Amino acid sequence: MPSQRILSGRGLVFLAVLVAAAVLVPVLSLAVPPASPFHLSAYAVTLVGKYLCYALLALALDLVWGYCGILSLGHGAFFALGGYAMGMYLMRQIGARGTYANPNLPDFMVFLNWHDLPVTWWGFSSFTYAMAMVLLVPGLLALVFGYFAFRSRVTGVYLSIITQALTYALLLAFFRNEMGFGGNNGLTDFKDILGFDIQSAGTRAALFSASCAALALGYVVAAAVTASKFGQVLVAIRDAESRTRFLGYRVETYKAAVFTLSAMMAGVAGALYVPQVGIINPGEFAPANSIEAVIWVAVGGRGTLVGAALGAVLVNWGKTFFTGVFPEYWLFLLGGLFVGVTLFLPQGILGLVDRLTAPRRPEPPAERPVAPDEQVLPAPVAE
Amino acid sequence: MTDPVLTSSLLYLDDVRVSFDGYKALRGLSLVLAPNEMRAIIGPNGAGKTTMMDVITGKTRPDTGTVFFGGSVDLTKRDEAEIANLGIGRKFQKPTVFENHSVDTNVLLALKAPRGAFDTLFGRAARDRRERIDGILRRIRLWDHRARRAGDLSHGQKQWLEIGMLLAQDPKLLLVDEPVAGMTDSETATTAELLREIARDHAVVVVEHDMAFVRDLGVKVTVLHEGAVLAEGPLDQVSADPRVVEVYLGR
Amino acid sequence: MPRKRMPSTRIVAALLALLAGIGAGLGAARAAPVDDALAHFAADKFPETDVGIDALVASGAPTAPAVLGALSDGRLFFDPGSRKVYVVDAAGTLDDAATGAKAADVTQGGLKKVRLNNAIRSKIAAAVGGLDLVSPDRTKRLAAADTAFAAHDAKARGAVEAALAKEEDPAIKAMLVQARAAIVAASGTGPEAERLDAIATLKARGDGDALNLVDQAGAAPDASPAVKAAAASAAAAIRFTLAVWQALQNAWYGLSLGSVLLLAAIGLAITFGVMGIINMAHGEMVMIGAYTTYVVQQALASSALGGASLLVAVPAAFLVAGAVGIAIERLIIRHLYGRPLETLLATWGVSLILQQLVRTVFGADNRPVAAPAFMAGSFHVGGLEITAGRMWIVVFTVGVFAALQIVLRATPFGLRMRAVTQNRRMASAMGISTGRIDALAFGLGSGIAGIAGVALSQIDNVSPNLGQSYIIDSFMVVVFGGVGNLWGTLVAALSLGVADKFLEPFAGAVLAKIAILVFIVLFIQKRPRGLFALRGRAVEA
Repeated sequence: MPSQRILSGRGLVFLAVLVAAAVLVPVLSLAVPPASPFHLSAYAVTLVGKYLCYALLALALDLVWGYCGILSLGHGAFFALGGYAMGMYLMRQIGARGTYANPNLPDFMVFLNWHDLPVTWWGFSSFTYAMAMVLLVPGLLALVFGYFAFRSRVTGVYLSIITQALTYALLLAFFRNEMGFGGNNGLTDFKDILGFDIQSAGTRAALFSASCAALALGYVVAAAVTASKFGQVLVAIRDAESRTRFLGYRVETYKAAVFTLSAMMAGVAGALYVPQVGIINPGEFAPANSIEAVIWVAVGGRGTLVGAALGAVLVNWGKTFFTGVFPEYWLFLLGGLFVGVTLFLPQGILGLVDRLTAPRRPEPPAERPVAPDEQVLPAPVAE
Repeated sequence: MTDPVLTSSLLYLDDVRVSFDGYKALRGLSLVLAPNEMRAIIGPNGAGKTTMMDVITGKTRPDTGTVFFGGSVDLTKRDEAEIANLGIGRKFQKPTVFENHSVDTNVLLALKAPRGAFDTLFGRAARDRRERIDGILRRIRLWDHRARRAGDLSHGQKQWLEIGMLLAQDPKLLLVDEPVAGMTDSETATTAELLREIARDHAVVVVEHDMAFVRDLGVKVTVLHEGAVLAEGPLDQVSADPRVVEVYLGR
Repeated sequence: MPRKRMPSTRIVAALLALLAGIGAGLGAARAAPVDDALAHFAADKFPETDVGIDALVASGAPTAPAVLGALSDGRLFFDPGSRKVYVVDAAGTLDDAATGAKAADVTQGGLKKVRLNNAIRSKIAAAVGGLDLVSPDRTKRLAAADTAFAAHDAKARGAVEAALAKEEDPAIKAMLVQARAAIVAASGTGPEAERLDAIATLKARGDGDALNLVDQAGAAPDASPAVKAAAASAAAAIRFTLAVWQALQNAWYGLSLGSVLLLAAIGLAITFGVMGIINMAHGEMVMIGAYTTYVVQQALASSALGGASLLVAVPAAFLVAGAVGIAIERLIIRHLYGRPLETLLATWGVSLILQQLVRTVFGADNRPVAAPAFMAGSFHVGGLEITAGRMWIVVFTVGVFAALQIVLRATPFGLRMRAVTQNRRMASAMGISTGRIDALAFGLGSGIAGIAGVALSQIDNVSPNLGQSYIIDSFMVVVFGGVGNLWGTLVAALSLGVADKFLEPFAGAVLAKIAILVFIVLFIQKRPRGLFALRGRAVEA
C-alpha cells in the first residue's frame, strides 16, 4: 500500500535534536555559571531562537512550494501579521508603564492624540485572544487570497508576483500611522509576557524552548500532511495540475487549504519571533524578506521539510557571521547563493546528500521541467 | 427536453461553436454517443478534435451550443473537476502521469473515492481498495512495475498507466486522445486490445490518426473537418466518401 | 511665468529705480503741472500731500517716480520760504524735485521734511502702481495691470481707469478691464450695472482669484438680487472651469507618471512579456542606466560635449545595460529556460549582486545628476502647469516606444525574434539561431531598461536602490496589460498612472498606491492574462 510512514529516520533525528535543544539550552543558559565554558549567553539563546522562528517560516514555505509548487513571495506577510498580533498583546501588557503612563492606550496612540483604543486592538489584552489572532489573521488572509487566486487559476510566476504585490501593499499600509499599528516605528519597548520580564534570561530560555516546540509541532503537522493522501494529491498537483483536475480533484480547494495551513504556521513563527527580537515594524513586510525565505528553502532542499529548516538556520547563521565580519560582502554572497543554488544545486543540500548516499534511488522531486515550446508565457507579439 | 435522441444518449453535442481570437476551432459540431458505445474520431490536424475534448471535459467553454451528458446534465456549466466526478475520464495526447509518484500511488489517486480535501487528509483507506488497484495493475500489465516511480516508465508504459488511471476512475465515458502515438507495433496491438476490453463496460471515444489502429478497433467512425462533422459510419463506408478522400488526399 | 508675488516694498523700490533712470534720461523738465503738484507737498498738511501725490501722477512728470520714492523714504524736503521741493539722494546731495537737476545753492539746513503717515504711505504704493500703468515699457504696464488686479485696491481705481483710457495694447487693455472689475467686485459698492459687468468680466477670466472676487461681489451687504444671482451663476461656472482644469492637470500628472511606469516596464514587456523570462534584476538594469548617465556626465563635464551629456548617455546606457543583460542571459538564464520559478530566484540573486557592486564602486549615497537647461522650469497652457522635465520624459517615452515598435516590426532582428517567440522549433528549423536571438532579445530588453534609467536619473535619486522601487510596479504594468502585448503595456502604464493621480487627491499618495495594487491583484483574478490577453490553445496552460 502506498501510504507512507509519517516520520522518516531523518525526521526522527530532527525531532530528537529539537527536544534535546529545548531541554539543554535552558540548562546551559540558566544553571551553568557564566564563568563556565559551557555557559550560553542570553544573546546566543535569543539568536538561535530567532533562527528557529525562521526555520518554522521556511518549513511553512516548503509545504506550499516544495509539495504543491506554489512559490509564494509573500510569506513574510503572514510571518509579520503573526508578529503584529503578538506585538499587540505585548503592547497591551505594558499598561501604564509607557512614557506617557496612559493605562488605556499605547504610547504611539497618545502621541497621535488618539483618545480611544481602535476596534482592531480590542481583546488583545488577553493572551488567548492574541494567540487566536496569530493563527486566524494570517490564516484568513491566506484563505481569502488563496481562494480567489487559485479559483481563477493564477499559477506559476503570476501567483509569485501577486503574492509579492500583496506583501508590498501591506508594507505600505502598515507604514501609515492611521492604520493604528505604530506606523514607521512599529511596536516595541515590550515589558513582559504572561507576567514574566521579557528581558530576563529565564523568559528568553522559555521562549527558546517554545520555539523548539513550535518547530517540532510544525514539522510533525507538515510531515503528517505530506504523508497523507492529501499530501500525495498536493504533489500530483505540483507535477501535473490539469491531470489532477481531470481526475476530479478540486485543485483550488487543495491549494487554498495548504496555503492557509502554511500561512498559519508562518504566523506562529512570527509570533515567537517578536518577543525574542523585541520589536515588530513594517520592514518585516518588505518583499525582499519573503524572497530571502525562499532561498533558505532552496538551500536546504525543497520538498524535504527538514532541509527547509536546516537551510534557514544555515543561511541565517552565515548572515550573522558575514554581516559581522565582512558586512559589504554579505549581499554578494547572498546573491551568489541564489544563483549558485538554482544553477548547481536545484535539490538543495539534502537533495545532494540523498543523491550521494543512495545513488540508486529515484531522483528526488523536481519542479517539472517544461519544454520551451510548452511554456505558458511566450506568446506572440501583438499585431 | 423530450427529444428522444437526447434522453437516450450518453453524450450529446449540438451546434457547438468555439473561436479563439477570430480563429474558429469548432463550427457547429454535433455528435451523439450512445451508452457503452465505442467511437473513433479521425480528422486532419486542426479539425477540432482536441478542442472538442476540451469542451466535453470543461476545459474550454463553447461560445454557443449545447453539451449534455447522460441526457440531462449540462456540461457547459460545470468545471473540470465536476465533470470528472460525473464520470468522464480523459487521457491526454502526451502521456500525463504523476512522475514523482509510484505506479501504485498513481492508480490510488485515480481510484474512485471521495475527492474532497477533508476526505483525503483524514480519511481511512477502504478495505477493498488494494484488490481493485491490483486488479487494474494486472489489467494494464504494470503489476511488476507497481513500486517504480512513474517517471521512470517507458513511453508505452506511461500510456497504459494513464489508461489504468482512467479505469480506476471508473467513468461512464472515456475520452482517449491518440493513445498509440509514438508506440511500437506490439505496444499498439496491446493497447488496442486494452481499449476493446475497456469498451465492454464503458463508453469510449478514441481520437486517432493511425488508420490501421482504427481499423483494428472496428467501431463506428466520425470524421471531423474544420470544426464540424464531415462524415460518420463504418470505416469502409467513410473512407469511400469522396469528401473524406478529398480532405485527406487533396491537401 | 513666476506667479509668486514679491514683497511690495521691493517692487516699489525696483520700479522706482527704473523710473528714476528713465526720468533722468529724459532730462528736461516739463513746466507747470509738476510745479503745481509739488506745491501741495510744501503745504505741510496730510490732505495736501495726498492731493499732491495724485497731481504728481497725473502730471506724468519724468521725475515723479524719484519724488514719490523720496517721499516714501522720508527724503523729500521743502523750503518753507520758496515753497520749492527738493529730493535728497542717497549721497546726501539735493536735487530740484521738479527738474531733477542739482540744486547746488541750497543746503539741507533750511529745509523741512515732508511728513508721512500710514495713509500717505499706502497712497504712495498705489500711486507707484498707477505710474507703472502708464509706463512706456509694455512689460511693465502688463505687470502693473496684473498687480492692480491682484491687489484690487479701491484707491487704485482712478489710476486704472486713467490707464484704461490711454491704453491701446489689447492684452493690457483686457487686463486693465479685469483689474477694474476686481476693484468693483472687491469693494462691494457701486451701481448695479457696473457690478454685473464686473462679475461678467471675472467669470470670463475664470481662475481661482476671479472666483474669490465673484464670491465677494455676491456677498456684498447691499448686493441686489440680480447681482447675487449673477455672482452665484458666475461662481458655479468658474468652479466648473476650475474643476475641468484640475482634471486636466491630474490627467497630465497621470500621463507623466504613466510614461515613467511605461519607461520602466517597457524593457520588461520584452523580456517577460515576449520572451517569458522572469527577470527580477530588471530594476537593476534601470539603475545601471542611471549610473551610466552619471558617469557620462562626469566624464564630459569639462569637455565641449558637456551640455549634450544626456544625448551621449542614451546610447551609452543602452549599450552598458544591454551588455550586462546579454552576459546574464548567457551565463545564467540560458541554463534555466523552462524553469520560470528558478529563473526568478537566480535573477533576484543577480539583482542583489548588482546592487552591492554599484554600492561598492560608487558608494551608498545618491549621485547627483544635473538636469540640462531645456529640462528645467515650467510653463502654462491655459490652466495647466507643465514642468519641462516631465514633458520631455513623456516625449522621450513616446520616442522609445515608437523606436521599439519599429525594431520589432521592421527589422530582420525583430522578425526573427517574433518568429522565435511564436514557434521556437519552427524558427530553429528555418535556420534561425534561437540561442543568439534569445541573447539579443534579452539584451534589447535590458538596454531599453538602461535607457529608462537615463530618464529616471532626472526625476529620481540615483542610488543603488533605484531599481528596487520600480520592479514591482513594472511587473504589475506588464501583467495588467497582458503578457506579450506591447500596446497592452502602453495602455496599462498610462491608465494606472492616471488612475493613481486621480485617486491621490481623495486617498493620499500611499492609499492610492495600495488601492492600485489591490485593484491589479483583483483584476488578475478576473482576467489572469491581463487586459489584452491573447486567447487560444497556444496560451492555455
